[in-house]
Amino acid sequence: MDAITRIKQLGMPRRNNELWTFFPVNKIPNVLSADGDCRVADAPRNDEQETLDFSKEDDFAALLPIACNARKLVKTIADGENEMAMLKCNNDFGRTVLSIGKNAKASIEILDNKVMHEICAERFDINVAEGAELEIFFANPANDLPLTFRHFDIKQAAHSTVHFANVLQDEGIGRISARVELNGEGANFDYRSLNILKGTASKHQRLTILHNAPSTVSTQFVRNILDENAYASYDGQVVVGNNCSQVNSSQLVNTILLSDGPSVSVKPVLKIYHDDVECTHGNTVGELDKDQMFYLTSRGIPADKAREMLTRSFAKELFLELPEGPAKKRLMQSL
Amino acid sequence: MLSIKNLKASIEDGTQILKGINLEVKPGEVHAIMGPNGSGKSTLSKVIAGHPAYTVNDGSVTLDGKDLLSMEICDRANSGLFISTQYPTEIPGVNNVEFLQMALNSKRAYLGLEPLSDADFKKLCEEKMAMLEMDDRYRDRGVNDGFSGGEKKRNEILQMAILDPKVSFLDETDSGLDIDALRIVAHGINQIMSPEKAVILVTHYQRLLDYIKPTYVHVLRHGKIILSGGPELALKLEEQGYDWIEEN
Repeated sequence: MDAITRIKQLGMPRRNNELWTFFPVNKIPNVLSADGDCRVADAPRNDEQETLDFSKEDDFAALLPIACNARKLVKTIADGENEMAMLKCNNDFGRTVLSIGKNAKASIEILDNKVMHEICAERFDINVAEGAELEIFFANPANDLPLTFRHFDIKQAAHSTVHFANVLQDEGIGRISARVELNGEGANFDYRSLNILKGTASKHQRLTILHNAPSTVSTQFVRNILDENAYASYDGQVVVGNNCSQVNSSQLVNTILLSDGPSVSVKPVLKIYHDDVECTHGNTVGELDKDQMFYLTSRGIPADKAREMLTRSFAKELFLELPEGPAKKRLMQSL
Repeated sequence: MLSIKNLKASIEDGTQILKGINLEVKPGEVHAIMGPNGSGKSTLSKVIAGHPAYTVNDGSVTLDGKDLLSMEICDRANSGLFISTQYPTEIPGVNNVEFLQMALNSKRAYLGLEPLSDADFKKLCEEKMAMLEMDDRYRDRGVNDGFSGGEKKRNEILQMAILDPKVSFLDETDSGLDIDALRIVAHGINQIMSPEKAVILVTHYQRLLDYIKPTYVHVLRHGKIILSGGPELALKLEEQGYDWIEEN
């Protein structure tokens, strides 16, 4: 089944669809036209039709770039190659297919869309071969972006590592979704996301991590710093398959609310079909630590600067454990 | 210099902790406050500094004639008040040296002075760290992050040395210090002290007062200063405890 048929079958996202529970679906313009096409105004299109079968794809955001025949960018890092020097990826409305070869190393920064469409929707299909290491990251600047969807379909072979990190601090509406398959023994997926949101920013993340092999590791570590009327949600699903022993999975979401206006929703889902695993999840919501605020201000630091110091340290802590490289450098600089 | 008159303060549930404190501190003086656990010693320093957990019900606190209680917490500090709490707060992620520089330059801004350059601050910091026999490990870590009890107290005195306050309120600075560290910290406090400054020491033991000679010793009990005297009072308390005071 092609993507356009599937998207028409599913219809536009609704709140009663568990993939879109927290998202303001009324903000998504109808992309299904009466003539049977699927179109986003002004989005660039490709002549080439995608021939893959999407009959099992349920996520509107994953289907949209393909249903619209979005422009496609293909990048391959050959076996053993080292592209730790930054590969910048800017495909506006589009689809990116990345293949990271065996034992290769790559660092990829996704840049912001320069062209504003009705919806900016991107899909990344990423194959990470055995023993390969990939860091993929983006840091959105603090300005207004339109409605944005970024979907990642990541498949990891044995002993591969992916560090996926991002900072969101624009005031638009956005959703990051990812489906990660850990298909080979020892594969490791590490996700770190920081949302510094204010105004009416509304950011949503939906991750599904499938542990399909033994001794696979996944980490989801999210921090939110929310002010004014901002809203953030995190919906993280972990599935550990049969015969997948020694799996280690952790999910932690920490949120600081800087005022009475913002809100956050967190939904952890763990589906575990094997006994010998370690899976954890946690969620904290609070204000800035009052004792720490007192300590800094009692040394003469004005309250606004003390607040800034504490939020910055809360933010930076998220990326301290990233390996030294372009991602850590760029994300730390963005704070 | 520091004048505390009939200070009464309570916590959130309405329990009154301070029940009318009176204390006059003049330049060049060292005041030691002693008293049993739970008498209100730690509360006193926090109330003066403006800790939000306490409500002032009555009384006044002035520093060089300025009403401290009406000021923001940071302005109290920048006016010359320094408090060191019994359990210094850990702030992981906020670099210790950057914090010190920010604190000093906030004070300088309050006083209408230019910020100290990085080079000048580094020099000042190195000088004070040498005085307190502190090594470079203190620089790169978060504020009090992972510090031992003694390291935290030493770090507090480093802050006091750099911020150069008029009045320092040191709450059980001697707790958690081994004999050598106590000597170094006491030496640091004596070095910082001058005829224009004053220090209020809260302590349970005479041993700190062997190094820092108090001008006055006060006994705080049930939220009030119930007895004041000279250095000999501390020796008597060390020998006889507090019960005899109530008997009198």
